[in-house]
Amino acid sequence: MTLFNSYRWLALVVGVLLAVCALVAAPAKYLAADGSGLQGFGEDLSVLWLIHGWIFMVYVVVAFLLSRRADWSLTFTLVALAAGLVPLLIFYVERQVVAKVRAEAPDLTEPQPYEAPS
Amino acid sequence: MLGAHVLAVVCTGAAAGLGVWQYDAWQATRAAEAVDLTQGDPVPLLDVMGPDDPFPGDQVGQPVSFAGTWVPQGTVFVSGREHDGRDGFWVVTPLTTGGPDDPAVPVVRGWTDVPADAPPAPRGTGEVQAILQPSEGTGAFDEDPLDDVFPQLRIADQVQRIDADLFSAYAVLDTAAAGTNTGADGLAVASVEQLPAPGQFTALRNLLYAVEWWFFGAFALFIWWRFVTEEAESHAPQESNFASIS
Repeated sequence: MTLFNSYRWLALVVGVLLAVCALVAAPAKYLAADGSGLQGFGEDLSVLWLIHGWIFMVYVVVAFLLSRRADWSLTFTLVALAAGLVPLLIFYVERQVVAKVRAEAPDLTEPQPYEAPS
Repeated sequence: MLGAHVLAVVCTGAAAGLGVWQYDAWQATRAAEAVDLTQGDPVPLLDVMGPDDPFPGDQVGQPVSFAGTWVPQGTVFVSGREHDGRDGFWVVTPLTTGGPDDPAVPVVRGWTDVPADAPPAPRGTGEVQAILQPSEGTGAFDEDPLDDVFPQLRIADQVQRIDADLFSAYAVLDTAAAGTNTGADGLAVASVEQLPAPGQFTALRNLLYAVEWWFFGAFALFIWWRFVTEEAESHAPQESNFASIS
């Protein structure tokens, strides 16, 4: 898989996990009545925060590598990295990244041909 | 440029601090789980938990006192218990927390090497001081579910044997109150696990969060370093140009 496609998959997974954690698990855990089934559901679901965090680590590394290959500015790089921390933002940022890479570095969207060392 | 340095320091510091916080929470939770309460003062059982409550996880080994009616027909033996290096049985009789029909707690009265040699179970009312323990769940297989011998003291097994409701806990007679406790006559002392070892996965989540935060801290430092070196490289040719002009 290309770095570009890895980035897109990771962005999708991180985005979905963060949305579930922040928009479902957290409200259920903190807003539902104490001891209710809904609150217990929120508590159980909160383990997804941990999974989000670890996948986000992979996302950060992959996004950073992509940023070096595509020669992004520092600001755009930081926005792309931090997008995984704001619910729903990453879906928008991922579209921006796809558009930017397709426009500026289209060869990154294709599998890289093997280059024999010269 | 100064802003970038400040941002890097703040991000790294925050991540490192959050990591330390989670690491401390990991250790504190494990320490709390292993704390020895058995030497403390006894408290009334109902102050620690009610008959329908789940076992309060931080109360393992808490001495409790309660009084009620013995349920002799609920007497069972729990196999695989050691005393002075010998294998034997716990002798367990439920004691209610009031009248004969009130919820009961299985009480480990003592130890015997042969169930047939155990003295008859106490009858009538009783008052005990005992060490509170959570229901066991070792997954041990009961070879003969119809007899009075069980491989573990699991409340779900005991519920089926008596009419009374049971607490989700059992209690082991406290040797510190041997003078006043009833029901232990003719039996050797049953020893209780005083320090439950913290489980392997206890608060593991906190430890994993700590690793996560430290990773992000290190990554912030890395990005900062890349930024600084790239800035230096992009400035270098210009400076040499200036040098050649002047």
